Amino acid sequence: MSRPVASRADNPLRDPRDRRLPRIPDPCALVVFGVTGDLATKKLLPAVYDLASRGLLPPGFALFGFARRDWDTRDFKRFARNAVIAHARTEFSEDVWSRLADCLCFTSGSFDDDDAFDEMAKTLDELETVHGTRGNAAFYLAVPPDAFPPVLRQLQRTKLCDTTPLGGWRRVVVEKPFGHDLKSARELNTLVDDVFTGHDVFRIDHYLGKETVQNLLALRFANTLFEPLWNAHYVDSVQITMAEDVGIESRAGFYDATGAARDVLQNHLLQLLALCAMEEPVSFDAESLRIEKRKVLNAISLPSDHERYAVRGQYLQGWLAGRRVPGYLAEPDVPSNSTTETYAAVRLGVETRRWAGVPFYLRAGKRLPRRVTEIAVVFKRAPHLPFAATDTVELGQNQLVIRVQPDEGVTLRFGSKVPGPSVEVREVSMDFLYGEAFTESSPEAYERLVLDVLLGDKTLFPDREEVEASWEVIDPLEEFWSGRPPHTYRAGEWGPIAANTMVERDGRVWRRP
Amino acid sequence: MAPSVSTTLWDTTGNAITAALAAERRQAGAIGAGQALTLVIVAAEDQVSAAERAATAAAEAHPSRLLIVVRRQPDTPNRLDAEVAIGGRLGPAEAVVMRMYGRLALHAESVVLPLLAPDAPVVTWWHGPPPDEIAADPLGILAGRRVTDCSLADDPIAALHQRAADYARGDTDLAWTRITPWRALLAGAFDAFDGVAGTVTSVRVTAEAGNPSAALLRGWLSARLGVDAECVDDGGPGITSAEIRVEPPSGAERVVAVHRPDGRSAVLSVSGELDHQLPLPRRQLGALLTEELRRLDPDLVYGEALAAATGMDHRDLEARPSERRHIWRDPMQATG
Repeated sequence: MSRPVASRADNPLRDPRDRRLPRIPDPCALVVFGVTGDLATKKLLPAVYDLASRGLLPPGFALFGFARRDWDTRDFKRFARNAVIAHARTEFSEDVWSRLADCLCFTSGSFDDDDAFDEMAKTLDELETVHGTRGNAAFYLAVPPDAFPPVLRQLQRTKLCDTTPLGGWRRVVVEKPFGHDLKSARELNTLVDDVFTGHDVFRIDHYLGKETVQNLLALRFANTLFEPLWNAHYVDSVQITMAEDVGIESRAGFYDATGAARDVLQNHLLQLLALCAMEEPVSFDAESLRIEKRKVLNAISLPSDHERYAVRGQYLQGWLAGRRVPGYLAEPDVPSNSTTETYAAVRLGVETRRWAGVPFYLRAGKRLPRRVTEIAVVFKRAPHLPFAATDTVELGQNQLVIRVQPDEGVTLRFGSKVPGPSVEVREVSMDFLYGEAFTESSPEAYERLVLDVLLGDKTLFPDREEVEASWEVIDPLEEFWSGRPPHTYRAGEWGPIAANTMVERDGRVWRRP
Repeated sequence: MAPSVSTTLWDTTGNAITAALAAERRQAGAIGAGQALTLVIVAAEDQVSAAERAATAAAEAHPSRLLIVVRRQPDTPNRLDAEVAIGGRLGPAEAVVMRMYGRLALHAESVVLPLLAPDAPVVTWWHGPPPDEIAADPLGILAGRRVTDCSLADDPIAALHQRAADYARGDTDLAWTRITPWRALLAGAFDAFDGVAGTVTSVRVTAEAGNPSAALLRGWLSARLGVDAECVDDGGPGITSAEIRVEPPSGAERVVAVHRPDGRSAVLSVSGELDHQLPLPRRQLGALLTEELRRLDPDLVYGEALAAATGMDHRDLEARPSERRHIWRDPMQATG
């Protein structure tokens, strides 16, 4: 049944110079658990449709939905159609949809329902003949983390994860959070690796699917301009910010048990830090990149003085964008004595020769004035300024800012003479916009990541060691914070005062993004 | 939202256009930053709106400066009209639409050169019958990539032969762009095909008579598979099928075939496997142009396919210099 692996290289119709031809995955089935959830509705189903409309799905393809709702395949098709119309990036075409709709099926059941899984295993077997999926399957766990173990055990019990009888490949996709501390992450990883093999596990950090994050690698390693400055000789500090203007929405249950540090610091921010600080990989294949990222994550040092350099906060009632918004404790379903943080700021170090002594300030929070994610590399001041002191009072430090979202792009801030007879040097910005008008047509992160899963390309997925190394950074902070009340800040402010004090103590200020 | 500004200049000069563009860039603020390329479009008056629509769609994916040149009657008095628009009806791009009358039309480059985005690649697209000799059009000389469309010629197959005779690296034709989905489908089918090790015995492409895309598909398959593919005419629309027969080292002959009778959806069949129905629509001009702008380096695979389609030696095509030198031809003089 399995085709010879070498055939792709032998294919006379493929030519490395022929860059118009896209990579198309092997025939396969994509099985989505929790297909009626938010993630599937807003991201996954639209991404699959967008792939279909760009002609990037294999001819033999099936999308298999599994959820608790008492539906048949027809109900599911109707639901999926609405999701696609509402959220797909590409224009809705009846032709593309009707082809895709033929590839959809649905099984209703809960995760402890053996019959439902047996049924699914049977249907997957049939798909193999009906849709020619060749025994290849990717299982997407779009479910809350507590549902991972039962689903994985069911896959093990029904031998769905096992490739020996049919050949082909099996892959599993898990969404963050990957555990809630090092111990639970290890348990989860062991379970997933046990059911599948480590190589077949894809952990989605959708930030890594974003164009700008990938562009960070191009910016650093395709240019001669920046790399010579990318070290402790020239860099004063690095600030990585992920601010959201929204509150916790309807995720109180999840969020109150998680908090900002586990929700985004552990994954998105540390991944951005790793990409920003890592050495040049020997090549851009998945393994070389992971080796470099892992080295950085292992080299991260925590502040010795947690009290001063690890600040967490919780928002109070306030005004944001012209609206009055409630405080965290007043949000529905949040316990009134909750000490969960909605803001976290921390100073980290990277103990390598390149970064010795350069602080990395990370902050993430909700109900901040605006939604923005960026990496700001702040350079040292010029060692000597041949101007009168009064001429350069308005001159700050040079900055290179990589804007991840929104307005994807790069800003360079440097000093420039103010036009006029006197010498006066002031900060100006030079902007590269990935194109605010173009974001709509650049592929969604999920589109790229789903395609990579089906192609088996792991470059943009963090692996087990990275996840565990990240928890090793977060765990001591959580331990320090537990039992201490968080600082407070008003909704609509840039975080608690203690976070400002933290950087001011080092003679620095937060950049206003 | 990005501000949108637009200026119309009647009976103007190149300098005035350059000044108007600079003024609008200042007025529009930051949106003028980061232009990745300049796209020069040569179109006849009745094709301008189609070209504008395509360029607007392509600008969504490729921030570019758009210069549309409409050449009017060369036997009228010299005159230049222009519309300069940023972020307006021509999408997010910076666009200048120029109508050139009289002898000025023969010297369009004198207006276009100062308007090219500094040091950015230039792509010239003729939306209309391709010029016989690209070297005779100065707007083709200044471009690193030149895009023609043989399907708009009176005799598309003859035009394709002329393209091969005039070929230089960096040329492509939209007839080639149109078959990318076909090629992707066939290459994908071959990826999953166990019989790759066998010998290809015959290749057949069926299409509407005189279709240049079919000729290029046949050329590509011939060049890649090392057999002389045949082309069969039928009523279309466009290409209706492609069929490859392979003889494996042992066992029965296997066939990979794609049939698209209606110009919309196709059936992929591989011997011994299930048939698959897939959407394979004929794409809009905007999508084709977007694909063309994705790569600004020469498409050597196109050169090979073009050579095979027109019976030329691809080494001969590849050996030609990629830079052209302008050849002066005066259309007002009788041509031999």
